[in-house]
Amino acid sequence: MADKGGATPATYSPSPTTGRKKPPLLKEDWIRPDGRGFHQCRPALLDMHRFLSDSKCSRIDGALLIGGSAKRHLGPVSTRITSGVHGSVQPDIDFFRTGAVNAASGSAYAEIGNTKVIVSVFGPRESKKAMIYSDIGRLNCNVSFTTFATPVRGQGSDHKEYSTMLHKALEGAIILETFPKTTVDVFALVLESSGSHTSRCLGFGKRSQLEIMLCEALLLIDSMFLCNVPLQEVIASDNISECVSGDLPVVISCASLALADAGIMMYDLVASVSVSCFSKNLVIDPILEEENCQDGSLMITCMPSRYEITQLTVTGEWSTPKINEGMQLCLDACAKLAKIMRSCLKEAASDSQE
Amino acid sequence: MVGLSCGENHFIQGGIAQDLRCDGRKRLAYRPISVETGVIPQANGSARVRMGATDVIASVKCRLNFESQACCNLIKEKSRYILTAVQLQSQLLRSHSIGFRGRGGDELAAELSIALQRCLLGGKSGTAVVLMLVFFFSGAGINLSSLIVVERKICWDLYIDGLVVSSDGNLLDALGAAIKAALSNTGIPRVQVAAETSNNEQPEVDVSDEEFLQFDTAGIPVIVTLTKVGRHYIVDATSEEESQLSSAVSISANRQGNICGMTKRGGVGLDPSIILDMISAAKHVSDQVINKLDSEIASAEAEEES
Repeated sequence: MADKGGATPATYSPSPTTGRKKPPLLKEDWIRPDGRGFHQCRPALLDMHRFLSDSKCSRIDGALLIGGSAKRHLGPVSTRITSGVHGSVQPDIDFFRTGAVNAASGSAYAEIGNTKVIVSVFGPRESKKAMIYSDIGRLNCNVSFTTFATPVRGQGSDHKEYSTMLHKALEGAIILETFPKTTVDVFALVLESSGSHTSRCLGFGKRSQLEIMLCEALLLIDSMFLCNVPLQEVIASDNISECVSGDLPVVISCASLALADAGIMMYDLVASVSVSCFSKNLVIDPILEEENCQDGSLMITCMPSRYEITQLTVTGEWSTPKINEGMQLCLDACAKLAKIMRSCLKEAASDSQE
Repeated sequence: MVGLSCGENHFIQGGIAQDLRCDGRKRLAYRPISVETGVIPQANGSARVRMGATDVIASVKCRLNFESQACCNLIKEKSRYILTAVQLQSQLLRSHSIGFRGRGGDELAAELSIALQRCLLGGKSGTAVVLMLVFFFSGAGINLSSLIVVERKICWDLYIDGLVVSSDGNLLDALGAAIKAALSNTGIPRVQVAAETSNNEQPEVDVSDEEFLQFDTAGIPVIVTLTKVGRHYIVDATSEEESQLSSAVSISANRQGNICGMTKRGGVGLDPSIILDMISAAKHVSDQVINKLDSEIASAEAEEES
């Protein structure tokens, strides 16, 4: 029998850090467990560094050792502002970093909220699997979870479909004609998982006066986040909060960064965001608890510069206007995410030139 | 089906652009759908759906689940577990287009399973069991509380299996229709539970062979796959037309006009306005399909009884 979420594990496993109480979802004054607004994503810090030949070991986080490369912590490119109950503002940081794996043609490490993903790209290289001649290249994706990624050991191996979904998300962006007869391998490893499929999403919405103020402040403070949706419009919309939940969007974004790091030609960077819907609210960037109570989810993978969606999955029941709003929020978030990714790549490139 | 020449490709694309497909249909017209129910005597419910040359069989089997944890999940988190599996005959896939050849039958089956899970019954996915063909998910179209026998103790597990007998494109729609028909054909045996058992013991159950409960399947959505070829979209693509696809979006819509699930296939990116356009086209088409399918199912059941 499969291990269902909520089943008591046979062995000890650390309980999640947030409180046991479920948030009262339908009440007006629902505060998200980590104090974010409905339309606030966990912030993304893109930090680029290239593998240098000196042998300093440095750590990114906890037990993770990305061997042999010097790391420079650049300042946060963009931060998300979270609001506590009393309106205090505390920044919350994510990471993006390339050049994490020595042996690979290109690699990237991303840390968004609690999700930590490392993606390595090998290629274009010869592949034993491809026996037939083809005049376009092949893309081979594999997403795997470490056994310690989830609170219950081994739960991550349930998500075998992530490989297919990653493939579908990326194949529209890569220019396969540039490497005929060869294969590009993308291996994604989820080091720590915070849900089933989460993506980061940025959006603005209004739940309270406080959040409007915070959103406006965010707009002013953070010039990287150019919100395409006018604040008034979003405020008037019917309480859309997007939940970005899960690992898949993080994996997809990180994979496209790794592909760029490897020098594979692409039409555009691929950014991915997901949204969860709770009856009348859409919440961006949901965490696991929020995701468990969701009514539906919408995940979008898009190429922001071309304004094209490469992958779209919707579960649960949605009405058309809600899909509309959800898509709009996701697209805005993807645009911002892509800007962050691009700036990371630029910094990494300029680092390597020095 | 393998390897169309350039001329044939142009012919197909040109025909679609002029709203006249190879078999004479309009862009948004379905092939004639024929439904037979009760084809598998051993299953609690079954149906066989034919759309042109595409032939699929869906079967529903029920099993009593005594695990209280699973039943608790049903009540608290709306996550009753219904398994769906899709099996494809392996020789079938050799003749498929190049896109499928490299990945093989297993991946296509897994993809169909996920898409069915997502579109038909909604909700989150759980574990994938060994064969990669089986997925858990929670139901949105079915009234899940009808599956409870004893609260927190016993409930029914539904196993939904699909078998593709022959494929001529549009597998997802056919499977969706077959599952809907199979579920309306499903009879869950009535269960009598011995009263007055203490909380820790397993209640005695008496499964009757005679009386059955039927599902109310009016809420189950149908899946409409819109395939974009060139600048237009078509519904119910044959495998020749599918070989021309730049991208395809499968949308499942129910009677109330809500979208219950959406998946995109194909690598080419789509502009968001096109996707919204597709959604409205799909809703329009799905109204007709739901009515047609319901009447077909009703007549199939009537035939079966007679």
